[in-house]
Amino acid sequence: MSSMFGASVQRVEDDRLLRGHGAYLDDLGGDALAVAFARSPHAHARITDIDVSAALDVPGLVAIYTYEDLPPKLAEPLPLLIPHPSLTHGRTPYPLARTEVNHVGEPVAMVVATDRYLAEDAADLIDISYEPLPPVVGLGNARQADHLVHEDVPGNVAANAVQKHGDTAAEIAAAPHVLEIDLEIERSASTPLEGRGVLASWDPHAKRLRLWTSTQTSTGVRAAVAAKLGLDLADVDVITPDVGGGFGVKIVHPWPEEVLVPWAARLLGQPVKFTEDRREHFIASAHERAQQHHVTVGFDDEGRILGLDVRFWHDNGAYVPYGLIVPIVTSTQLLGPYKARAYRVEFDSLYTNTVLVTPYRGAGRPHGCFVMERTIDAIAAALHLDRTVVRERNFIQPDEMPYDQGLIFQDGRPLIYDSGDYPALLAKLKELVGWDEFAAAKDAAAAQGRRLGIGLACYVEGTGVGPYEGGHVVVETSGKVKVATGLTSQGQGHQTVLAQLVADELGVRLEDVEVVTGDTRRFGYAVGTFASRTAVMSGSAVTLAARKAKEKAIRVAADALEVSPADLVIADGIVQVKGDPDSGIALGTVAVLSNPLRYAFDEAAKAATQFAGGDISRPPVAPDDEPGIEGRAYFSPVRSTFAAGMHAAIVETDPDTAEVKILRYCVVHDCGRLINPQIVEGQIHGGVAQGVGGALYERMAYDESGQLQNASFMDFLMPYVSEVPQRIEIDHLETPSPLNPLGIKGAGEAGVIPGAAVLAAAIEDAEQILIRSMPISPSDLFELRRAHGQEEALS
Amino acid sequence: MHAPADRVWAALNDPAVLVASIPGCERLERAGPDSYRFVISAGVASMQGTYSGDIKLSDQQEPSSFVLTASGAGGPGTVSTSVQIRLIAGPDGTTELSYDADAVVGGMIASVGQRMLVSVGKRLATDFFSSVDDVLSGNGALAGAPATVGEGAPELGTDGTDPVVYLPPARPASAQGQAFGRGVLVGAAAALAGVAVGSLLGRKAR
Repeated sequence: MSSMFGASVQRVEDDRLLRGHGAYLDDLGGDALAVAFARSPHAHARITDIDVSAALDVPGLVAIYTYEDLPPKLAEPLPLLIPHPSLTHGRTPYPLARTEVNHVGEPVAMVVATDRYLAEDAADLIDISYEPLPPVVGLGNARQADHLVHEDVPGNVAANAVQKHGDTAAEIAAAPHVLEIDLEIERSASTPLEGRGVLASWDPHAKRLRLWTSTQTSTGVRAAVAAKLGLDLADVDVITPDVGGGFGVKIVHPWPEEVLVPWAARLLGQPVKFTEDRREHFIASAHERAQQHHVTVGFDDEGRILGLDVRFWHDNGAYVPYGLIVPIVTSTQLLGPYKARAYRVEFDSLYTNTVLVTPYRGAGRPHGCFVMERTIDAIAAALHLDRTVVRERNFIQPDEMPYDQGLIFQDGRPLIYDSGDYPALLAKLKELVGWDEFAAAKDAAAAQGRRLGIGLACYVEGTGVGPYEGGHVVVETSGKVKVATGLTSQGQGHQTVLAQLVADELGVRLEDVEVVTGDTRRFGYAVGTFASRTAVMSGSAVTLAARKAKEKAIRVAADALEVSPADLVIADGIVQVKGDPDSGIALGTVAVLSNPLRYAFDEAAKAATQFAGGDISRPPVAPDDEPGIEGRAYFSPVRSTFAAGMHAAIVETDPDTAEVKILRYCVVHDCGRLINPQIVEGQIHGGVAQGVGGALYERMAYDESGQLQNASFMDFLMPYVSEVPQRIEIDHLETPSPLNPLGIKGAGEAGVIPGAAVLAAAIEDAEQILIRSMPISPSDLFELRRAHGQEEALS
Repeated sequence: MHAPADRVWAALNDPAVLVASIPGCERLERAGPDSYRFVISAGVASMQGTYSGDIKLSDQQEPSSFVLTASGAGGPGTVSTSVQIRLIAGPDGTTELSYDADAVVGGMIASVGQRMLVSVGKRLATDFFSSVDDVLSGNGALAGAPATVGEGAPELGTDGTDPVVYLPPARPASAQGQAFGRGVLVGAAAALAGVAVGSLLGRKAR
């Protein structure tokens, strides 16, 4: 292809964002009324009374809403976005609690005031009486089910699902070796720097709603809000401004605030805004990750997996608005690049009185990867084989592609890997990290009293999930190209990457292409930004749209130049005869000519007016044609495309303090053809940072009564730049996908997936102590050492 | 109430007491037997305004019960209410007063949330009845002179005997400062009634 594809073009977003010219949700609507919420301080309680009288003395108070105020559609539970046959007991919250609260932070009353300070003052003065109920906190209590989160959900089980291929029980029974392993992952959360936020403005004359929200899906919010407020889609604009990170939490919609704020704006006839604060983000948005797993694996003398049985328990929090996506992804993506002769996975998705759980970057894959990679390492240890050898022996081979894992993926389609070369990836990783030379380095360090360890982990990631995205490309008479796609951006660099694709396809300069995302006024059909899908979905769609615009431009130019369309190309924004750069006509002029005019608005436009010539025997716009140089196209793949990668890390553990230091972190990565290597590497860097956080620092410290004790950035440990490896070494393999016109695969989540798995493996190698639970803090490791020492003393 | 039922009854049916006790009431004007036009200046934050309308007393069962109906309108919206008031003799010369109110609100007022409306209504009703009680127990602005009114002599009717316009006494500055306690959005009817807004009303108002 041509020049832009594959180039590490500087991000076009950065000049604006780095100079502080971004416009995030809270930068908008300075004159809007402000909203604050009175939220439940209890994990589980019945509401017995709400007395707002003390709040009435707060000046600037405008309104206080509770459940009773909600009109019928808003008074229903919020939608269960992704239903699934196994989700037999799906429960979603009301926008404002009705009679019961099920987690600390659940909104009970909504206050509108002239500013946020006053709104919070009034919210604090609302006296809500509760009758506390026994809280269910943690998977242990949820499984035990002495108490129930929802009275009508027996055993706290929202869903039980089984997937399998082959006869796992028989394979395990017949296997020469069998291991059973228990593995656990703790809670963490997306924690974008910008929390959620929504601003709504109602036009009482046009009876139209305009909504700005910090979301990963403008069209999803529009559909939900329109349904809840009884409006047609055409009467609701949803605009996603600059977004300071999403990482999954903002794909959930509608959040209670996203329907309540526009409802209040319409009711009060004034703009209304809600901006989430940090504590609210911790206790009233969403978390992820907590799962317990029990693995039974049967394997042969070479370490080949014969039967793999995984039983796991997923903590879905108080409600399941996003369905079963996380545990489904774990149960399917757990297999990674490996083929098990037989596989059976069964999970329970369980309610707890904690913040609800929805996808967070990686979305179930980090857990699956952790389980599979720990299992492979256990097999290697049992057979005294090198860990890379066991992996090689279980890999799906390139000539087996496309490979059907015999399961159903999160998009409801068969889990069929489209392409990939796992042996080549492993060879690259061993080379990059120096796997074969590490033993000597480890021994040399040990001689100095230092403990070093190496680990690796492999994953496969389904990306570019359907159903579709679309793109629109229009050439302005100035020659500038305006591109719109419906999904949203949270800082990934979509404006750059999509502009690269359009510039290439259309033959214009990158700086002449301007991309708008997440604005329903510009593009109304879209799904959203999740599952590493933007490049695959919208990238393909805008490419196809640009192709249509290009065909039209060449047709119009061929007519004007009286040459054959086949002889024309577009380069640098000039439609020209092949091999004759001076023959051309500027694309902007072609745009003028494509739109027959009665009125000349400038010099250039004269050429398109009615006395300027042309064939007077034909209508100015042919029956099968339309004015303008535009293209609109949609891309809808048959199923997801599967990226892959492998990480290796070398760590050093402190013999005294049990601190873990990452000495090297290596990534080999295959997301098909790279549009912009720098942006892909940036995605990997950010993902690795989140992976390190999830492995070593982050946890949600709930106490037994369901209070989140670390709901602030003072107490919740996130890795700073000082905790992330100074250098992340990256190598790429490019195995094109056959499922889209660009041959690309998603890259957004790759960096985070193997974090817990690879660091657990490296720490285990350094310490020679089994690591079965992540994250691991120095205290945890210290305790493991002590327990391990006692075991050794006993034996 | 710290007075026997017949005195309470008389006070609640005395426009001079009403004009002095209704929070935010600027003026009551006799419009017929047991019927008045009112002007009440009340409000909170973005919903301040002046309300005017009519009050009517009916179904009098002296000294035990009567019905007060009122409807008013102002910039922020409309309120209409019907209040059943009951008086039962209590110990030591006191009277137990109970009331049961329904109200329908419209306009901006209907947008502020029903718990807020109810709270405002209850607070205004409490203010109203305690002002009346103050008058009855001799602590109020009308102590000793419940039948005469206001800063000056009441305006006289055309027959020269019956005052038709009632103005409130000058209020102490401190009371004026209690913005919410004295004059709140729901205005006239809620003030008189202590609105018990049902959930149905909350929906209807929309």
